[in-house]
Amino acid sequence: MSLSRPQPSDPGVIEVTTEESIARWFEEPADRAPAIETDALTKKFGSVVANDAVTFAVRPGETFGLLGPNGAGKTTLIRMLTTLLPPTSGTARIQGHDIRKERPAVRAVIGTVSQAVTTDENLTARENLSVQGKMYGLSGRTLSSRIEGRLREVGLWDRRNQIAGTLSGGMRRRLEIARGVLHAPQVLFLDEPTTGLDPQSRRGIWEMFGERKASDPGLAIILTTHAMDEADALCDRVAIMDQGRILCEGSPQSLKKALQTGERVALEIEPDLEEADGEALRGMGAVNLRIGSGRSIAFQSRLGEGVGRRAAQLLELRGYRILHLTIEAVTLEDVFFSYTGRALRES
Amino acid sequence: MRRGAELRPARGIRLALLGIAAVCQRAYLTIWRQPLLLVSTMLFPVIYLVVLGNSLNRHLTGLPLAVVDEAGNSLAAECRRGVLALQTGRGLVKATFSADRAGALDDLRGGRVRGVWVLPFGLAARGPAPAFIGDNTDRASYDALESTLAEIWADVTGARRQAAPAARLEAFPYVDYLTYLGPAIVCLAIFMGSMVSGGLQVIEDRMFGYHEGYLVTPISTGTLVTGHILAGAVVASVAGVLVLLLILMITPLPFQAEAVAASILTVFLTSLAIASLWFLLFARARRASVLRGMFGIINVLLFFPSGALYPVESYPRWLRALSDVNPLTYGLRALRDLLLRGARPESCLPEWIFLLTFALVCGVMTQVLFRREV
Repeated sequence: MSLSRPQPSDPGVIEVTTEESIARWFEEPADRAPAIETDALTKKFGSVVANDAVTFAVRPGETFGLLGPNGAGKTTLIRMLTTLLPPTSGTARIQGHDIRKERPAVRAVIGTVSQAVTTDENLTARENLSVQGKMYGLSGRTLSSRIEGRLREVGLWDRRNQIAGTLSGGMRRRLEIARGVLHAPQVLFLDEPTTGLDPQSRRGIWEMFGERKASDPGLAIILTTHAMDEADALCDRVAIMDQGRILCEGSPQSLKKALQTGERVALEIEPDLEEADGEALRGMGAVNLRIGSGRSIAFQSRLGEGVGRRAAQLLELRGYRILHLTIEAVTLEDVFFSYTGRALRES
Repeated sequence: MRRGAELRPARGIRLALLGIAAVCQRAYLTIWRQPLLLVSTMLFPVIYLVVLGNSLNRHLTGLPLAVVDEAGNSLAAECRRGVLALQTGRGLVKATFSADRAGALDDLRGGRVRGVWVLPFGLAARGPAPAFIGDNTDRASYDALESTLAEIWADVTGARRQAAPAARLEAFPYVDYLTYLGPAIVCLAIFMGSMVSGGLQVIEDRMFGYHEGYLVTPISTGTLVTGHILAGAVVASVAGVLVLLLILMITPLPFQAEAVAASILTVFLTSLAIASLWFLLFARARRASVLRGMFGIINVLLFFPSGALYPVESYPRWLRALSDVNPLTYGLRALRDLLLRGARPESCLPEWIFLLTFALVCGVMTQVLFRREV
């Protein structure tokens, strides 16, 4: 796969790369087996390589995000890890169980919330969970108390007898989540858990994951998303995927720090910017300086905080009037851009 | 969580049983929530019964017949009286009398009469005898007219009085066609019922993604297959038994507890065989359009060769081969034995064994073909 992607000019800046992070991971005192470790997991559909030797590891209690545009291979990866799709080569272990050889054991410890609606629209919320719980070997009072607990957690206990098909989109998704965690899995797979939901429902679901984590600190969550804010909000560590490969991996903070550019600044000033003052801005750490009609200026800052603010102060000191100022913090979006040369939304 | 205080999740056989219970629970709740589905499932065979039973094999009446009397003698007059008696009595014919042979044949060609009975000049017991020219495009009317007119001629000439009457005995109580169709309709209800709950549900699950919810759980493929087959079989049995009871009410069949119990067992085993056949056919199907396309074909392949409407003995060899491996044939045979012939339940054992074996073979094949990975 010859992919021409612009590499950061100084690889040393990148704090963590895939191999390094795994090496570091193993150096840490291993009190528990990894929740997930994949070993050159590859899936080919004919000549199309959906996943190309994907290798990563997730600790118990960690929330790991797989970021990437649609078609990056996130869902394929999740389907292999949840035993729905056999890998072409390579393998993975979940709680020490091989996904090729010990599928029933893998299935017993994982929970999934997939993009598909897997709750039956003709059944009530409680009936859906009752059916699901039996499949995990739960029954009787254990099952009914578990169902009550989960429905309360997702705020659907009052609607336990409502037919699933009549629940709103957000509530239906919460029911899916209750279904996914019903049997207290040790590893939870979330495939785009908030896609298609309004912002309020999304935040509600993020909070629910937070609570779930708080009540079950050992739970490892692996989450796919193409929403960078979601990854920022939920993940301890993220891996950016594109065209079936993991491009980089690390905590959202470290990935952002690893970028050569910092915040994005846009200014509108009066009067037009003098050439000398432009140089002064560059001297402060402004890169990619673009001067529009002379009054609107946009640049990205070098690493470090507060360049935008200091630039504005400097311009004011030099007698400019600032009509408009926007400073956008660097996001994972910029990280994605730096690795692929494309914005996430375009792809 | 109170994980420590809770019981450990079941494994092995218990997990399998719980899995089967879960699949069934869902299937029944789904049907329960959509009672219309089951009602329409049973409506189809009942309508089939009423329409088919009343449109096939009923007595023919009012067939237009032209009698051409060229003889004009007393024997011809007796023949005409015979025809008139037929018209006023059984009402089989609506006769017109003339001496115009060409006109009558014209009417026959134009489809205005179904037959022409020519009483030729010099009609006598030794000959010349009457000639029947019939519209053989419609076999049933032709045969009825031909045989009845031959009877009249035999009566008139006294041929019948000379022949010794053959001994005829009906082994079982009189069964009209509607009643004869009864067991076939029960089978049709089973077929329909197993389709909405078994075949359709498997595909729907796959289309709507519910299947994934099953597939990521630790229950085995065997459990899934067994659960789906059982769920489909019980729904089909409910449809079958309800139609069976309805038939017992509207037809003059005697209600014998033992025969009815054995019939219900037959219905269940037939349902099991049909449900497993559906699942085998759709083990790999992805789209409901496949089902819609298949339904008609499977219906024709299962229902008609079963001997539901016409005796198996009339089929050509290839069709009989199909009929020999068709679970409906066996279900139907057992039901007819039990309901129409008043057979002892144990005489249905071979049919029951066949049905059970058929279900098992299909179930095992489904499990092999069924792809867990979606």
